[in-house]
Amino acid sequence: MTAPAASDVAVGDSVTLVSRTVTQEQINAYADASGDHNPIHVDPEFARSVGLPGTIAHGLLEMGILADAIASWAGGNANLLSLSCRFSKPLLPGDTIICTGTVVSVDDAGVATLEVGASSDRGDRVLTNGRATVRLSR
Amino acid sequence: MPDQSHVGRRYTASGQRIAPESTAAMAQAIAGADPVREPEAVPPTFAAVYCLGPTLAQLFTDPEVGIDLAGLIHGEQSFEWPAPVHPGDVIDATAEITGIDVKRGMTFVRLAMEAVRPADNTVVCRATSLMIVRAPA
Repeated sequence: MTAPAASDVAVGDSVTLVSRTVTQEQINAYADASGDHNPIHVDPEFARSVGLPGTIAHGLLEMGILADAIASWAGGNANLLSLSCRFSKPLLPGDTIICTGTVVSVDDAGVATLEVGASSDRGDRVLTNGRATVRLSR
Repeated sequence: MPDQSHVGRRYTASGQRIAPESTAAMAQAIAGADPVREPEAVPPTFAAVYCLGPTLAQLFTDPEVGIDLAGLIHGEQSFEWPAPVHPGDVIDATAEITGIDVKRGMTFVRLAMEAVRPADNTVVCRATSLMIVRAPA
């Protein structure tokens, strides 16, 4: 895997990032992997008792999928230098998360800044105000 | 409830070994039904485990701050990765409460974290988190 060349990346480029359908099994696996067993993620009855439609994915699972999507475009995890976002709306089991990115700058050192985000296939913007920096190849 | 007097409070989690089986489990959980893209690498957001998890766990159980977990929402997150983490690394993490604001009945707790690999004195992650505590219904 290699990073896109700085000379091939222009401001305004939209980058195609992966989409992934998130299942309750995957949320359970993330709960085990992260150690975050908050019942809003794994117990539908509890989740409904606090006013949610059911269990919701961990925000950091969504952010992990977004990071994975950007790193895939960037030619590997080591080329993803930073990522930030707001957890705006919950992602529910069965939803497909659709990650998007647009290049907003490329500096002289070959670091690209992208506006990034994620929506659900139900149309909810789940991750907003996203920013990522990525090291391009020279 | 958290209040201004808690700003500056720090939590430390030292000597965490990055276990290959743990990073593999995280990579698989992120990949879901897809194949893991980079099986030998530590997923960037594994920082949730070595940086956020062990420090936030102390905040969430700090009786003097008294956060109500039932009303807790993760609002925002940022990560910077100045250097990659490798399986087998040992990492020290610290978190500091940098701000507490109450608005519309909700308490906004801001934190800054840093994770360091003492073996080569390298910062491997800087992070900020916004945790929102809703008032009890």
